[in-house]
Amino acid sequence: MSKIIIQKDDQFLEQLNDAIAKNNLTDWELFKLHYQMKEATAARDFNELQVLSYLPHVTFLDHQIKTAKTVMQEMNGRAILADEVGLGKTIEAGLILKEYMIRGLVKNALLLVPASLVNQWITELHDKFYIPAASYRKNYNWDDHPIFVTSIDLAKREPHRENILNLNFDMVIIDEAHKLKNHKTLNYSFARSLKKKYCLLLTATPIQNRIIELFNLVSILKPGYLGNYETFTEKFGNKKTENLQDTYLNKLIQKVMVRNRRKDTLLKDVERNVHSVWINFSAEEQKVYNELNDFLNSFSSLSKITFLRELCSSREACYLSLQNSKNERLKQASEDIMNKIAMLPHHIKAKKLVELIKQFGDEKVIVFTEYRASQYYLQWYLQQHNITSVAFRGGLKRGRKDWIRQLFKDNAQVFLATEAGGEGINLQFCNYIINYDLPWNPMRLEQRIGRIHRYGQENDIHVYNFAIKNTLEEHIMNLLYDKIDVFERVIGKLDKILATLQISSLEDEFMHIMENSNSIGEMKIKMDNFVSVVHELGDQHNEEQQHG
Amino acid sequence: MKNNNTVNQIDIEKFLINYFTSHHCEVIQNEPGILSVQLTIEMDKALMNRPFYWHYIEATGNKGEPKKITFILDPEKSAEKGEWIHFGSPRLQQINNHLGANAKFIHLFEELNVDKNTILHPWLLTNFCIIYEGKQKKEELFSIGLNLINGTFMFDMMQELEAASLSPTISDRCYTISPLIKINSGFLRIENYIHHYILEQDHTWASDSLQLLQEEIAMIHHFYENNDEENKQEELEKELEDIHARLQPKITYKVINGGLLYLQETFPKK
Repeated sequence: MSKIIIQKDDQFLEQLNDAIAKNNLTDWELFKLHYQMKEATAARDFNELQVLSYLPHVTFLDHQIKTAKTVMQEMNGRAILADEVGLGKTIEAGLILKEYMIRGLVKNALLLVPASLVNQWITELHDKFYIPAASYRKNYNWDDHPIFVTSIDLAKREPHRENILNLNFDMVIIDEAHKLKNHKTLNYSFARSLKKKYCLLLTATPIQNRIIELFNLVSILKPGYLGNYETFTEKFGNKKTENLQDTYLNKLIQKVMVRNRRKDTLLKDVERNVHSVWINFSAEEQKVYNELNDFLNSFSSLSKITFLRELCSSREACYLSLQNSKNERLKQASEDIMNKIAMLPHHIKAKKLVELIKQFGDEKVIVFTEYRASQYYLQWYLQQHNITSVAFRGGLKRGRKDWIRQLFKDNAQVFLATEAGGEGINLQFCNYIINYDLPWNPMRLEQRIGRIHRYGQENDIHVYNFAIKNTLEEHIMNLLYDKIDVFERVIGKLDKILATLQISSLEDEFMHIMENSNSIGEMKIKMDNFVSVVHELGDQHNEEQQHG
Repeated sequence: MKNNNTVNQIDIEKFLINYFTSHHCEVIQNEPGILSVQLTIEMDKALMNRPFYWHYIEATGNKGEPKKITFILDPEKSAEKGEWIHFGSPRLQQINNHLGANAKFIHLFEELNVDKNTILHPWLLTNFCIIYEGKQKKEELFSIGLNLINGTFMFDMMQELEAASLSPTISDRCYTISPLIKINSGFLRIENYIHHYILEQDHTWASDSLQLLQEEIAMIHHFYENNDEENKQEELEKELEDIHARLQPKITYKVINGGLLYLQETFPKK
């Protein structure tokens, strides 16, 4: 009892005397209404959520409400929200922020989100939660706008940096927090230096690569919770992680992280239909592909893989990349093959794309490609076939992204995005995705699909994965998307499995296998081995979960 | 999961009618679930957030036209023209803030229709909120009255006064007697009561919070143990402050509203 601070009201008497002296009084009716309102709004219970009765205009999903409760009751307002993409992390963060605001525990808050999402966050907070947030600008007045949204890139720059670091925030929310995984970056030290009471870190991919990244995230929330840097790296860092330790670590993590999976939530009602679309190169294209393959034999396998992948996407992507190559020897030798590439007819995948889109009728479609050059080409090619499209890429200014999204919603049939466009924009009014090129990392594919398979999607969705036979794409498709069976079995566990295997990223691993194989046969065997290890570990995790 | 009806019950319709009528606004209800309110100039200024309009009107010596608001209480009808007002809506929040800023102090007399001289006793009325804040937070309300003549305590004072008519002016043939207990010492007595009440409560929540606080402090020190960076001390202190802000158990009690009342000697007898 002695350690509880007790604070009494030392202003009331003076104020009352003053009010009587100045006749600054109220009447009985209003006095009663004031008290009545206080009776209605008082939070009489430590645990019960108040927020739901304040937001009758929104239907929240059970897992979102449960998450809000868990974060408040068990994690005391400091947590990693790591739902799979599309389950409504923003909603959960909004619920928690609003509940704390209603209880008077949060009066000011800082939200750090990707620049392209600033407006989306503000709209969502306003419409769904009645939270008047503002976008941070120069000459910002903290008193007028105690809740503000900005990007970490802007916030960490002077003079904002100093201003922001001088404030005491009741709550800090960081979206796409996996970008803070490296403790040596400026962004990371900025996030750690913020003065904050409560803190939410939002990420769909809490451990993409190394386990130390999770340590770094947790150290923003609760420094010391996983030990200090030395003890942690000693235990988990470079050694092969024993299963026992892994389970122990896992238990610790679960106390600071909520991760809802699509399969455990109501969202599974929306069916996800994944179609593999196998395409054959025309004889002419296949010939050039084979020639390119032979031509590149004398160069590094990394550049070989790169150029071949590009040719599978578009003539333009491959041609430009050969042209811009920094390797002089390659540049000089490639003239002949470049001419052949330039002479190729329209790409077989582009033709397939038009054919497929026409089959959909008026349905809106998102098309992902890995290359800017292919994006330009496709936009032109679609236009030739009277298909309207908007091009979307990373690095666009805030506002412009919102504008393009709106254009797509109102005026265009196709949303042509490069990889960088995959993150953070919500397109749940659309039900079709075509992966014109496949990323080599299933996580990234998951993020793409998450643009439409998310909270708010009401229809079944369709995903089409393009792959050309007798090329690199065939291996990738077979290995990643058929055998690994990412959608059903492993995706949620992939983080852990990769961490156990000490693999930093799938892409690197595949690249590594390809680079170090002397024949296609050898590569297949190595890939098969890798896949079976992943499956085995996946099954082990399943058993642990069932027994635990 | 929609509205949770177990908490926060308030009859918004009745509340709004009372609120606007008390502020001398005309309230028209043509059909159930819809309320129209003709604001007065004062209330337009308080609620409609258009200072430039009023500034301009006053500068040009014009009269100005306060707005009329239509509230939709039944969400089924929200398609019709009007603003949907519900428990969490910004408008109700605004009205609540307006009440909080303006409906805090009273100095009132019981309204009586008597034919012989009647004594009114002074009472100090305080509506308290006790806030328990640790890793979580809860609130508790008290309405306490203290008779400043004989020291009688009255709990649930607002409920006792439910039916009373109170007026800013004293009724005919009524007179007050000056307090034997000064307001200041009366307030002190109420505070003492609350203080003792607080001491008697179960404070497991606070010890839980303190324990967590200690654990987290230990974690922080461990985190920085082998750290030799130059700003280590500064960072460490910042983290400790953050932890205290979040976990240090604290009890605050403050008056929501209160004031002086002059009530019949026989109060609370009906």
